[in-house]
Amino acid sequence: MGTAPAQLFPEFIVDTLGLDSVIGEVAASLVAAFVVGNIILAFTGVAGPWAKRKITAAFTDRIAVDRIGPFGLLIIPAAAVQLLAKELIIPEGVDRPSWDIAPILLPSSALLGFSVIPMGQLGPINLHLADPEVGFALVFAFASIASVSLVMAGYASNNKYSLLGGLRAVAQNLAYEIPLIVTAMSVVIFSGTLQMSGVVGAQTETLVTIGGIAIPSWYAFVNPFAFVLFLTANMAEIGRNPFDIPEAPTEIVAGYQTEYSSAYFVLFYLGEFVHIFLGGAILAVTFLGGASGPGPESIGFIWFVVKIWGFFLFTQWARAALPRVRIDQLIEIGWKGMLVLSFANLVLTAVIVGVIA
Amino acid sequence: MSLERPDTVDDGAVEQTPDELEALLGDLVVDRDDHLNAPGFVIRPDTVQETLRTLKQQAGYDHLSVVSAQEYENRYESIYHLKKYDDPTQEVSVVVPADKDDPVSESGEPVFRTADWHEREAYDLIGIEYDDHPDLRRILLPETWQGHPLSMDYDKDRPQIATLPEHANPLEDHHKDAESDTMFLNIGPHHPATHGVLHLKTVLDGEQVADVEPDIGYLHRSEEQMAQSGTYRHQIMPYPDRWDYISAGLLNEWAYARAAEDLADIEVPEYAQVIRTMGAEMCRIAAHMLALATFALDINGDFTATFMYAINDRERVQNLLEDLTGQRLMFNYFRLGGVVWDLPEPREEFFSKTRDFLDQLPESVEEYHNLITSNEVFQMRTIDTGILPPEVAKNYGATGPVARGSGVDYDLRRDDPYGYYDELDWDVVTEDGCDNFSRLLVRMREVEESAKIIEQCVDLLEDWPEDERNIQANVPRTLRPDDDTEIYRAVEGAKGELGIYIRADGTDKPARFKIRSPCFSNLQTLPEMANGEYIPDVIAALGSLDVVLGEVDR
Repeated sequence: MGTAPAQLFPEFIVDTLGLDSVIGEVAASLVAAFVVGNIILAFTGVAGPWAKRKITAAFTDRIAVDRIGPFGLLIIPAAAVQLLAKELIIPEGVDRPSWDIAPILLPSSALLGFSVIPMGQLGPINLHLADPEVGFALVFAFASIASVSLVMAGYASNNKYSLLGGLRAVAQNLAYEIPLIVTAMSVVIFSGTLQMSGVVGAQTETLVTIGGIAIPSWYAFVNPFAFVLFLTANMAEIGRNPFDIPEAPTEIVAGYQTEYSSAYFVLFYLGEFVHIFLGGAILAVTFLGGASGPGPESIGFIWFVVKIWGFFLFTQWARAALPRVRIDQLIEIGWKGMLVLSFANLVLTAVIVGVIA
Repeated sequence: MSLERPDTVDDGAVEQTPDELEALLGDLVVDRDDHLNAPGFVIRPDTVQETLRTLKQQAGYDHLSVVSAQEYENRYESIYHLKKYDDPTQEVSVVVPADKDDPVSESGEPVFRTADWHEREAYDLIGIEYDDHPDLRRILLPETWQGHPLSMDYDKDRPQIATLPEHANPLEDHHKDAESDTMFLNIGPHHPATHGVLHLKTVLDGEQVADVEPDIGYLHRSEEQMAQSGTYRHQIMPYPDRWDYISAGLLNEWAYARAAEDLADIEVPEYAQVIRTMGAEMCRIAAHMLALATFALDINGDFTATFMYAINDRERVQNLLEDLTGQRLMFNYFRLGGVVWDLPEPREEFFSKTRDFLDQLPESVEEYHNLITSNEVFQMRTIDTGILPPEVAKNYGATGPVARGSGVDYDLRRDDPYGYYDELDWDVVTEDGCDNFSRLLVRMREVEESAKIIEQCVDLLEDWPEDERNIQANVPRTLRPDDDTEIYRAVEGAKGELGIYIRADGTDKPARFKIRSPCFSNLQTLPEMANGEYIPDVIAALGSLDVVLGEVDR
């Protein structure tokens, strides 16, 4: 199915520089990972101190940062310096080293997820680090490590609000990860492969042609129901409104983050933003045709960026507009609603694909 | 308290003459001590419950507004100011003297739940002890405070020494229990959702609230004592702005103005009454907008757009108030006998700005309905949470939007008219849901009613003949109300019945100045609404009560 996948990024480096030894391959992989990691961190850097403020301000009739640099963009280095220069306060009675590991675990697990995401081509470079046969399962596995970090932070902080936040995080992730993965499985039934390039490749075919415009067979068009389910579960997975209850600042004072300051706080925030982008990337790959879009394949990366930033914008919109559900309502929606719907979707998809194919 | 009110609705409205009441109480009455607003019956300190119960059940006095306590040269005294929810112009005061050397008086708490906090305050500040009170502790001052600040022998120079070890950690004694599987949680005094410095001592069973106890007093600024050391004419008026400081200033000022004007028998010119009415309703809109904004903050989270939208609308009415009074928050605009100055010149500009605001308001309200009240998730969160049944609300002396959200049709602007309200066409808003959602709806609909009032006031003011624009009555330079006159007067503040009790002693300063804060009584209902619900519901219920801690603690 689909077109043959382009050469992966590390292989591209190996070929271009002629590094055909084991050490060369390892070095090439590290360089490639470094590049991809930095792209994501750059997104986060723009999103956290600047874009998020600007977007929220636009939603709430305000102006937000506009004093430093063009459009206030220099707030990014200013905020970085300010955040890192703050004192790291270590409360009495925290359980180390889990208290220290948690803030590192969150961003790294989310970054790890990007190792298998096909981010599309930029010129000759295909920004895709690895394409294992179980890539699709791997990415969800990486994404769920985040819950471990939240629980660790929650109980290690020796704070009741943190504990409540940690408990809420587990309950929420349990309730929403299953529907998330079950819905993703319905896509696998369509594509017939767990390999990321295969899933994306399967979406390049034309679904219908309306008035000369070819609508690609993105799974969001093929199965809009699954798309909505997945989007909802994804919002819960990344903990954004209306499912931001593990943080819920007006209830449990930012939950698991309550006791973190300075660099650790930055790491948590970084992790959350990387997580949002990973959520957007998974959504793009699974339902929105990955890096595909109008124009040549060599600008695919731009489309990919548009899609994940589109998802980021969506989370901020939800944040400005939607109320937060209560913990018991959240669990009820998860177990009684989403789970049933996602299994129904899976069975239906299997039957339809089985009958047609 | 299984004491049901046996009387029907009609009975509540039947007005008894003071003599009939005296006959009803029979031997309970030892003496008469009439106040300007109501007949006063002096009773023995051990018959409080019996008297209150008789008045509540057989005469329909179902609203204990406030308990004001004070110390005289020869005795202590607690006054229970009773009213009827059906007709608050029917008032009666129950005066309970207590022994100078051993000030003990029976508690009214078993009859009126609301007496709990009021009597604790009287104990805290004056030093009267209430027998049969379920929980007689200090309420505004720290537990370790030495002496009672409003009593006569209080030594204000005595250092308040309370060392940290003495002030034991509340966790140690009663909250650590190896057997129980509950968790004690301090919500506040610094918490994003307590709307000020409020401390909720919460016992959690998982995420559910087993018990919640509001701990107040963090913002206590001795407002009553400060008012007692100021002269009636000018020195007291700035203080009311600082009670409910959420831009409800003019409403508060009116409470003092009304009490003092009735005490000194001052007639306010009609023109000034219209300006007062208009200004007060502007304040009400500003206060309700902030209530809506912060409620959205509690339910939606920190980044909700509704908050900024409502603040924007509040800003517009705030600008009008600034034009009118010259101040943005601490207006100090009312004077005894009128207001300090006339509408700003050019008048047309002020009127057209006001009309612009009123024209745009329905659109804003519609937007809030789109954003929050018609949102399913919002409804899921607020409907049927924080239930306050009407009988419970009355028992706690709840007033304002909190009572009206429970279907209690009680609004002093209509029921005990003052200002220009009874000449205008507007409605009292009630909702029967008794939940968080109803309380929000009441506020949103009241904003529209206030707009109606303002519009009519603007029409009136526009056509007012130029030579009849009298903004102040002639008031003596120094006011000295007669010795031993007492009055309790209330107005409908932004949060409910805001009343002032004043006892004059023939000087130019009040001998006792007692503030009946609506938030104080309303906040007392929180445990009723929150117990058994989830943490987010406690936050929602607190938000829907719309308390301002400056007014709770005074």
